[in-house]
Amino acid sequence: MTMIPKGLEKQFNILDFSLSSLWRRKLKNLGIMLVFALVIFLLGSFQMLTGALTNSAEAVLGNTPEITIQKMSAGRQEAIPLVYIEKLRSIYGIRAIIPRVWGYYFDESNLANFTIMAMEPDSMPDSVKLNLTLTHGHFPKNTEAGAAVIGRSVQDILGLGKRNIFSLFRPDLSLKSFNKVGLFSQQTDLLTNDLIVMNLEDARDLFAIPASMVTDLCVYVTNPTEIETIAKKIAVLLPDTRVLTKKQIQKTYQVVFSWRSGFASICLLTALVAFAILAWDKASGLSPDEKREIGILKILGWETGDILAVRFWESTVVSALAFIIGCTAAYFHVAFFDASLLKPVMVGWSVIHPSFKLLPSVTLADLLLIFTFSVLPYLGATVIPAWRCSTVPPDSVIR
Amino acid sequence: MRPCHILFIFLLLLIFIDAGLYLHARRLGQDLKDDQALQAIAVAGLGLTDLCVATEARYTRHPSVSDPMAPFMDHPGAIEHFPTGSFWNAPTNRATP
Repeated sequence: MTMIPKGLEKQFNILDFSLSSLWRRKLKNLGIMLVFALVIFLLGSFQMLTGALTNSAEAVLGNTPEITIQKMSAGRQEAIPLVYIEKLRSIYGIRAIIPRVWGYYFDESNLANFTIMAMEPDSMPDSVKLNLTLTHGHFPKNTEAGAAVIGRSVQDILGLGKRNIFSLFRPDLSLKSFNKVGLFSQQTDLLTNDLIVMNLEDARDLFAIPASMVTDLCVYVTNPTEIETIAKKIAVLLPDTRVLTKKQIQKTYQVVFSWRSGFASICLLTALVAFAILAWDKASGLSPDEKREIGILKILGWETGDILAVRFWESTVVSALAFIIGCTAAYFHVAFFDASLLKPVMVGWSVIHPSFKLLPSVTLADLLLIFTFSVLPYLGATVIPAWRCSTVPPDSVIR
Repeated sequence: MRPCHILFIFLLLLIFIDAGLYLHARRLGQDLKDDQALQAIAVAGLGLTDLCVATEARYTRHPSVSDPMAPFMDHPGAIEHFPTGSFWNAPTNRATP
């Protein structure tokens, strides 16, 4: 027989007693554990999903345009004249200025929003490798009129099947035909699911944008350390524009998913308050049975410390199990079920539902945060009333 | 069997499941690296700025390049009515540098 230190053996005995005590009121305790695990599951799912999206954005948005110039008018973005490019020629250090036409196409029959994107791909960085992002086909050349590369959801929603020809409406409701010359790979779904890429002329024709205008300008600089300086010079030269740098774009995704977002704060605070009420109810009013049990234990010679140890183990078992089960379920939810409970809120009324392939973000800091907000208050809320009760004379509680 | 032994067995089972999930996460991380390499090419080659997660409103499809005020810009006194507007946090102040 193995020797167990006396102190440890005593704690094991108290743990046995606590578990038996929990089992006697199994319906109530399992109910509490379930609610507790649900709250932790919700908090954990939210944090794992938003963390995964933030990590994905950080990993892939490293090559966004170094500077993006948008023209502003009356507080709204509008098309920017190509002559602005000439005004920027005087700034030393600009490597390339690439005009882009892009916007949204609302497909009324399917209620889907597609993103139309057009530029001269040959002038963009990594343009030679761009065809790797397609399952088949190629990107439309400048001279290839009516050619388009589409995302997988666009293909599904337009119901193209094996057809390659599809039509979109111009603003005057005349139809413009396109020939699908390529389909984006499933691996780039997180970025290209709703994209239709075409050449500049076709996009101008589709959106009825004059030949002298584009949607925005992408600026690439020779020395990346000068991005901020050049952006300031552009802002001075073109005061009616908004100048966005790569750093600002990347920073957006560091803050866009956070506890401060309306849904997160309302839903999670509600859950926490509901749980706090449950814990407080359990904690503040020890039932007469529980009080009698404490009184009997004291008469039998148990010390206050032992009774507290029983309550501590009970709370620890309930909250620790709920924490582990909640976090494990949250991982399953995000990794294997596409975060299906949070997804409807996250994509809203979008008709295009991207299939997420995300690595749930599990960090020690997040786990500690959830632990601190859930397990510690529960421990406090159950041990303190037990201490209050165990310090009163036993004969007054069992009578 | 003592009750605490049953608890330990149950804890061991949970640890075993979580260890399996840890291995799953490592393998998924490796798979995603291949995907992310392709995604980085798409970002560079097309000048993309945002993830395609929500497509219902322009400020949740392209939060980094659309107006932070867009939800309330449709007309004076407009209120935000897209569900995703409540999930996505407003970007920080993007004043020109």
